[in-house]
Amino acid sequence: MSRKRNLEVDYVTQRSSSQRYRDSQDTVHKKLHSYYDYSLLFLTLLLCCFGLVMIYSSSSYTAQIKYGDAGYFMKKQLVAVLLGVFAMVIVSMFDYHALIDKIPGIPVRLAWIAYLAAIFLQVLVLIIGKEVNGAKRWIYIGPVSLQPSEISKVVAIIFVSFLVSAKPKVLRDFQGFLAIVVFMFPLLFLIAKENLSTAIVLFAIIIGICFVASPKKGYYFVTAFVMAGFVALYVLFGDPFRIKRFKVWLDVENEPMGYQILQGLYAVASGKLFGTGLGESMQKLGFIPEAHNDMIFSVICEELGLFGACIVVLLFMLLIWRLFVIAINAPDMFGGLLCTGILVHVAVQVLINIAVVTNSIPSTGIPLPFVSYGGTSVAILLAEIGIALSVSNRIRYERH
Amino acid sequence: MVRTKNRTHQKRSLFAVVIVIFLAAGILCVRLGYLMVFEADRYGAMAKDLHQRERSIKAARGRIFDANGIELAGNKPVCTISVIHSQLKDPETVIKILSEKLELPEKKVRKRVEKVSSIERIKSNVEKETADEIRQYDLDGVMIDEDYKRYYPLGNLASKVLGFTGSDNQGIIGLEVKYESVLKGIDGKILTLTTAGGTEIKNAAEDRIEPVAGNDLYLSLDVNIQKYAMQAAAKVLETKQAKSVKFIAMNPKNGEIYAMVNVPEFDLNAPYTWNNGQNLSSEDKGYQDALNEMWRNACVSDTYEPGSTFKIVTATAALEDHKVTLSDTFSCPGFKIVEDRRIRCHKTAGHGTETFVQGIQNSCNPVFMEIGARVGAKRMYYYYRKLGLFDKTGIDIPGEANSIMHKEEDVGAVELATMSFGQSIQITPLQLLVAASAVVNGGKRVTPHFGVKVVSADKTYEKKLVYKEVEGAVSKETSETMKQLLESVVAEGSGKRAYIEGFRIGGKTATSEKLPRSSNRYISSFLGFAPANNPDIIAILLIDEPEGIYYGGTIAAPVVREIFENVLPYLEEVSS
Repeated sequence: MSRKRNLEVDYVTQRSSSQRYRDSQDTVHKKLHSYYDYSLLFLTLLLCCFGLVMIYSSSSYTAQIKYGDAGYFMKKQLVAVLLGVFAMVIVSMFDYHALIDKIPGIPVRLAWIAYLAAIFLQVLVLIIGKEVNGAKRWIYIGPVSLQPSEISKVVAIIFVSFLVSAKPKVLRDFQGFLAIVVFMFPLLFLIAKENLSTAIVLFAIIIGICFVASPKKGYYFVTAFVMAGFVALYVLFGDPFRIKRFKVWLDVENEPMGYQILQGLYAVASGKLFGTGLGESMQKLGFIPEAHNDMIFSVICEELGLFGACIVVLLFMLLIWRLFVIAINAPDMFGGLLCTGILVHVAVQVLINIAVVTNSIPSTGIPLPFVSYGGTSVAILLAEIGIALSVSNRIRYERH
Repeated sequence: MVRTKNRTHQKRSLFAVVIVIFLAAGILCVRLGYLMVFEADRYGAMAKDLHQRERSIKAARGRIFDANGIELAGNKPVCTISVIHSQLKDPETVIKILSEKLELPEKKVRKRVEKVSSIERIKSNVEKETADEIRQYDLDGVMIDEDYKRYYPLGNLASKVLGFTGSDNQGIIGLEVKYESVLKGIDGKILTLTTAGGTEIKNAAEDRIEPVAGNDLYLSLDVNIQKYAMQAAAKVLETKQAKSVKFIAMNPKNGEIYAMVNVPEFDLNAPYTWNNGQNLSSEDKGYQDALNEMWRNACVSDTYEPGSTFKIVTATAALEDHKVTLSDTFSCPGFKIVEDRRIRCHKTAGHGTETFVQGIQNSCNPVFMEIGARVGAKRMYYYYRKLGLFDKTGIDIPGEANSIMHKEEDVGAVELATMSFGQSIQITPLQLLVAASAVVNGGKRVTPHFGVKVVSADKTYEKKLVYKEVEGAVSKETSETMKQLLESVVAEGSGKRAYIEGFRIGGKTATSEKLPRSSNRYISSFLGFAPANNPDIIAILLIDEPEGIYYGGTIAAPVVREIFENVLPYLEEVSS
């Protein structure tokens, strides 16, 4: 109780919250032990390593042909993973309250700076981004390529958590929720322009945090209905490209555009119960375009079977469970909401990715967290886990 | 307090969210299970279809051997050159080298190389040496498949008998067609796994179904006899400027054919190359007809008026029916009046009074008109039937023709008279040969044939081919009498130019005037057999439209003598 009041005071007095918090912990609960969620750390590293193996397995054939190096994609991913793990460890050592601290010398909070920087990057990518497959999604700085939309995801988690935990009461009515959406609108709009899938994930994160923080749930269901209506209208009268995707989804075996999905389904079904064995996928040999990207789960299914695929799903569910445990035990609302955002981010990507691979929903390009190829994605996700670990680090419990 | 409440409901909300996530994950796992268990076989089959490329391995076609085991038709390794579009790295070089080495126009090669298809055949039946040269360049995307091509080591020998195969190695004419099921092997298959680009995956277990080579066929045809006969036939074709010369030599005892010549022959290794200056191109009208004409085995496919050689049949019928004895005498004034017609003898002055034996030696038409009339149409047809003149002989060559005869009820005295010396009817040379065989072999009607046995490629299986034989077509006595009569034809009569000292040869000459009669086109022929008392060989030679002298006894008999001079000692040698 006193801790909560202290936090409230922190914002009001604008003192360094982390400093203040640490003081209070040390002085009030000296008998309590700190907690660091090693399970989460272990699960994350396991998924990353598994991802590296699967990227090598699924991409070595095409990499050998294209670049003369079977390990081309795996090596690039390895660098990103190492950077990400480094970032994760560093972030987890810092107090997450630093995210809403003011930077010394500038009267602005870090969250705001991150928010503005994300918008800047999203604008920048539209100007200097390199167009790949008809969409500008990457910024190239020398040999490094950066996907700003991935950065925007973590920024959204931090910024929305910050907004909500700063004024939790605003969510009591619908206008408050709308206000947050309006805050996030620039990012949403900029991303949706080039990459609808990522915008969906971002929107899911925003809604997820607000839903959990909000004492009233009714209007979320109303919103869901309205959204469903909009989607239906969009499908019926909107962009022919999206309509096509719906048609492909409904008749994947006969639609020529369904090639990629059908190839994925072939891979999934070929796996049967125990798979063809690691490295033995047939479908990765050029049948599935970029098998190491969004469709990597189909190669996992083919090589490791239903058994392996279910284990991978289980690992993700364990990861989500750990994030849930940290979120509900978080020392404050901000920490809880941060973990909620991370949880929603991972869960939405996992569910949409697998649903697309199994043709359960119309196809949309979302990578499988930690496993799919994509340096920015994995590094940012690892940094997010670092934040969650940092939150876990602040949990104090009484040892029996 | 508000905050605590907030936190509690937040935890509850988050728990609900996590439950929803777990439920969704569970549903997706069920979906995965459905796909990977219940749909696995269906999608698995579709995927396998996609991954497997089927390549057939051609089975080697069975070879054909002559009576001495000499190869008449074999297989030569050749190559098929194809390009795989997706693997091409340097199309320009490929186009240049292929058009150069394969001697194809650059434009044509370019069109095929630049065509976007998984695999495009550039040329098949490429000589192995040429293919090896191309292989030396190690061009990416160029595939060389080894294959077999039918090859005939003896070129044009017995071309119309053997026949040849098409590009798909399937028989087109001759024995190659008749024995297709024997010679044809069973193609094997290689099922290889490929990537989406069509590249074969190395080390992937490939399903391989081995090809089964076709069975070898052994013929009664003897290359040596065929060669003698062909030389002799070609010589007379040349000297008499004839349209064609046909020759058949057969063992009268069992129907095994030793030789069958149709000059001009054609080259089996280049069956579309003209043999007689036709020079039609494939665009010309009548091109296919001309090809068919060139490939036609006239010995079995063409009928003709046999003329005087047919008197063998008439004499046999009269003797069998006891309507004539050797000592019967006849009178030939040079013609015979039949009903309202005056039918001439070839000797217009007439042969005068002669015995039946002399009548045969002279090939006197009135004698045969007389004995024909004695036998009568009904009995005559009975003997025709017994000698197989109404049936195809059943030879193992496709495209056999049948005889053209008057209807029995339409045969009047005039028809009977002309038929008696081999006019107004049409038979194939082979039918006549079979009938004559029955006359001289003691009365057995044999089925003429080439195929003797079928042996599997690994020699583990051997099958003798059996043919129908009908005994009693002619009585033994008549057969003996006829052999003596026909020997006397060669020894003393019109066939004396076929006489070879030291050998007993029987035979009968013929000169048939082709229809219409006024065209003065003839077929000169001679039917001979030896040794006359117990023949081992019977042969017939036909010279179609000779220039100059056209009497069978004058031009055909010497050719048969020439062939027999070589063949008879050869047969003695072979049998001993």
